[in-house]
Amino acid sequence: MSETAVDKMSFEEAMAELEGVVGQLESGNVPLEASIALYERGAALKAHCQKKLAEAEEKVAQITTDGDGNAAGTEPLDRA
Amino acid sequence: MVTALYTHDSSDTHVTPPGHPERVARLEVVRAALNGLDLDRRECPAGDEADVLRCHPADYIAKVKAAIPTNSYVSLDADTHVAPGSLTAAMHAVGGMAAAVDAVMAGEVANAFVACRPPGHHAETATAMGFCLFGTAAIGAMRALEVAGAKRVAVLDFDVHHGNGTQDLLWNEPRALFASSHQMPLYPGSGAAHETGAHGNVINVPLAPGSGGAEMRRAWGDVILPAEADFDPDLVIISAGFDAAIEDPLANLNWTAEDFAWVTRAIFEMAHDVAGGRVVSTLEGGYDLDALGAGVRAHVDVMMEQGG
Repeated sequence: MSETAVDKMSFEEAMAELEGVVGQLESGNVPLEASIALYERGAALKAHCQKKLAEAEEKVAQITTDGDGNAAGTEPLDRA
Repeated sequence: MVTALYTHDSSDTHVTPPGHPERVARLEVVRAALNGLDLDRRECPAGDEADVLRCHPADYIAKVKAAIPTNSYVSLDADTHVAPGSLTAAMHAVGGMAAAVDAVMAGEVANAFVACRPPGHHAETATAMGFCLFGTAAIGAMRALEVAGAKRVAVLDFDVHHGNGTQDLLWNEPRALFASSHQMPLYPGSGAAHETGAHGNVINVPLAPGSGGAEMRRAWGDVILPAEADFDPDLVIISAGFDAAIEDPLANLNWTAEDFAWVTRAIFEMAHDVAGGRVVSTLEGGYDLDALGAGVRAHVDVMMEQGG
């Protein structure tokens, strides 16, 4: 089964898979040899979720800090 | 007094499928690492089924026996495979443990290292798993309690994976303490701090992935070693896995050979205070061959130093 590249996933997709990974690791039904790869996939998913959250937080900060205390719309997060 | 080393050639007949990490070469590396040391080298006797029966029911032993193939391999689970020599190997690991317990309890030797395959700490009461068939460390603890005169035994496990099997086998035994540090999350998924045994006789200290010697020293220094002292055992059994090494392919902890020496010395210093220095250590995991050799050498060097 091929895995979706983590950096292409939405927050929701990554979070859903991460919950599945944690459930599998806690279930005790993952073979010992596969456990490390599953953990590392989970760590990548967690990092991706944290990155997506940080981006969202930055976007919220832009909304709340723009103008003179009034919401004045949003700017694109990625200005590149 | 000297340190005894228990081995048996049958360990090499527990052949695992090509590419399997728990492989014959592991013990070749261990033997090479201990070559030339002034150890009392002893051959493991064949294990007594009565020792196994203190931990595993007869129908489980029969199931393992029935699974042994006449050639090639049979898989008991996704990780755990048996070859024609696997039962003989596992029974000599049990026999080596029993003989080591008897020798240390009788004061024949200062301490003992049992270097056999397959490992044992994942084998539950009626389930072979995680490369393990019989719970060698727990079997040794029960032998010490029922035959060798110990009133209390502590089993301390520093393998990177939780010793779910030893925990299962000793869960209801108030005369045995089982304490483990291990990476979490990781196989087998058990080993949370709230798993404390039927009599408060189980202690689990999970370690975060990526952590190293400093976190290990806190876990052992703050929790496990004080528990060892409070329990006041007559014998300490170490489940010595070397897969917390930074190089190990099956886990994410960052221990060095110095860390394995530190934890061994710390266990012995406490064992000298409460158990007359009586310690039996048994090989569990460790899958990077160079790190395994270095870790075992560091471990046994301290055993010799502490026994001298």
